[in-house]
Amino acid sequence: MISVSHLTKHYQVHKRQPGIAQALRSLWKRQYESVRAVDDISFSIAPGERVGFLGPNGAGKTTTLKMLSGLLHPTSGEVSVLGHVPALRSREFLSSIMLVTGQKQQLIWDLPPAETFELNRAIYGLDRAVFKRTLDELVLALRIDDVMFKPTRQLSLGERMTCELAAALLHRPRVLFLDEPTIGLDVTMQGVVRGFIKRYNEETGASVLLTSHDMDDVAALCPRIIVIDHGRLIFDGTLSGLVEQQRPEKRVTLRFGEDVVAARLQGLGRVVDQAARSAVIQVPAGELRGVVQKAFAELPIVDLLAENAPLEEVLAELFAKSREARA
Amino acid sequence: MSRTLAILGVQLRRSVLVALQYRVDFVLNAVMAVFWTASSIVPLFVLYSNRKSVAGWTWPEALVVVACFTMLKGCLSGAIQPSLQAVVEQVRKGTLDFLLLKPADAQLLVSTSRFELWRTSDVVSGALVLVYALVQLGYTPSVGAVALMALLLVSAVAILYAIFIVVISLAFRFVKVDNLSYLFMSIYDAARWPASVFRGVFSFVFTFVIPLALMTTYPALALLGRLAVTDVLIALATAAAFFLAARVVWLRSIRHYTSAGG
Repeated sequence: MISVSHLTKHYQVHKRQPGIAQALRSLWKRQYESVRAVDDISFSIAPGERVGFLGPNGAGKTTTLKMLSGLLHPTSGEVSVLGHVPALRSREFLSSIMLVTGQKQQLIWDLPPAETFELNRAIYGLDRAVFKRTLDELVLALRIDDVMFKPTRQLSLGERMTCELAAALLHRPRVLFLDEPTIGLDVTMQGVVRGFIKRYNEETGASVLLTSHDMDDVAALCPRIIVIDHGRLIFDGTLSGLVEQQRPEKRVTLRFGEDVVAARLQGLGRVVDQAARSAVIQVPAGELRGVVQKAFAELPIVDLLAENAPLEEVLAELFAKSREARA
Repeated sequence: MSRTLAILGVQLRRSVLVALQYRVDFVLNAVMAVFWTASSIVPLFVLYSNRKSVAGWTWPEALVVVACFTMLKGCLSGAIQPSLQAVVEQVRKGTLDFLLLKPADAQLLVSTSRFELWRTSDVVSGALVLVYALVQLGYTPSVGAVALMALLLVSAVAILYAIFIVVISLAFRFVKVDNLSYLFMSIYDAARWPASVFRGVFSFVFTFVIPLALMTTYPALALLGRLAVTDVLIALATAAAFFLAARVVWLRSIRHYTSAGG
């Protein structure tokens, strides 16, 4: 459905030293620097897949999304989405994709979202009956029945985001590009947006490619993740695969009924954190069973929790490794 | 074609709704527009206060040019400038991307995104000036002459639109070009004078570079029954050429925007 091979994008960036003298100098003599925003990445996404697209700021995520949606021409490499070359921006292609970004909005500021919906109906040439049916479904799922008739400028960020999603889905796209869709939303709204995206994907079989810095988004939505850093692909696989690869250790939180001195924890595993009546230790996944048994036998345990290291930490470690590899 | 009309219809509806939402603004602006039209006649009035004709144009004849100028200005600042001015903002904010992702002609979407309906007051007051001028002249134009004037005004709108499209296309490369459109608006102000008023360099520029003469003087001459057939053809051909050239520039700029982009 989506296939990307050796995709590369270079930008020419005007480079200038600080200071007035340098600024004046750059008036007639400019130095350009070529920046590799995306550097030889390849992957493919099957119909119905939900993929998280992760990376630190400036990694090339948005640039890649723009190339996939036809807003940017690649410097080299090939992209195919639903059998189309995005850069050609054919009507058929544009009618079957959508892009929503948490940072920018397409809703008409002065008018209620219902007017944007109507505009999109005309632009996508949707049949009125079909449009009405789709809209009714979206209104129900996103709970925007009264919100959509208030002027956009009076809506809260969350209300606006749900209406953005509705506006972008009226033509029932088969590929969804979502660029930080939950940014700035409160926990409830995040839940609504996540739940909705998942449901749309399950009901329509559309593919979803989502960028986010919120690991809860990724954990809730994306069985598979692609990680890029400095324009290069550094991981492509399942979320659990990433955790296993980066952090094969489990993290065990112990709570004690009485004070426990540090010495008594020795032999259990690496101690990450310790207080009088609690401790966090890190244990290789294979040894978890033995360690837990030992802990119960030797320590005054009242509560125990074994889990994977937090995703943020795992990713931070992955980025750090990629930085080292570059250096 | 039907899709184009549907889009145009929805876009117009949207502008009507915005206008209705800000009713007080609408009325105030319309009143102000009438005031500005009146004030645009003042310099002409001063000029004619102690002479019978300027460059072969009598006072009521010159008023016909002013009438064409005012009506065109209404179209320019009501239907062309607001949308295209908005593009500059969209390029800067990056929201133009949403437009480019729509399966419809981007130029159409961009050019129809905003109409300022209170500017129709310019068209109305222009028409009133026209009627007053004709009464002063004691001249009743034939239906054909009125139709020809209308046709030439439409081609003038096409030229103005084309110039704006080119100016805005620059926004894709240089991002901040709103000042250019102000510059253009002030150049357009020269069109209130009959073309033969200008001499030398100005005459050249206003005929060949920015064909102001075609825009207001030709329709006025057509109404007065003084425009040669060849001039009509030249005006129509120029409008068509401007329109097509603007289309080419637009398409190239969009391609540049997406290939360099960011």
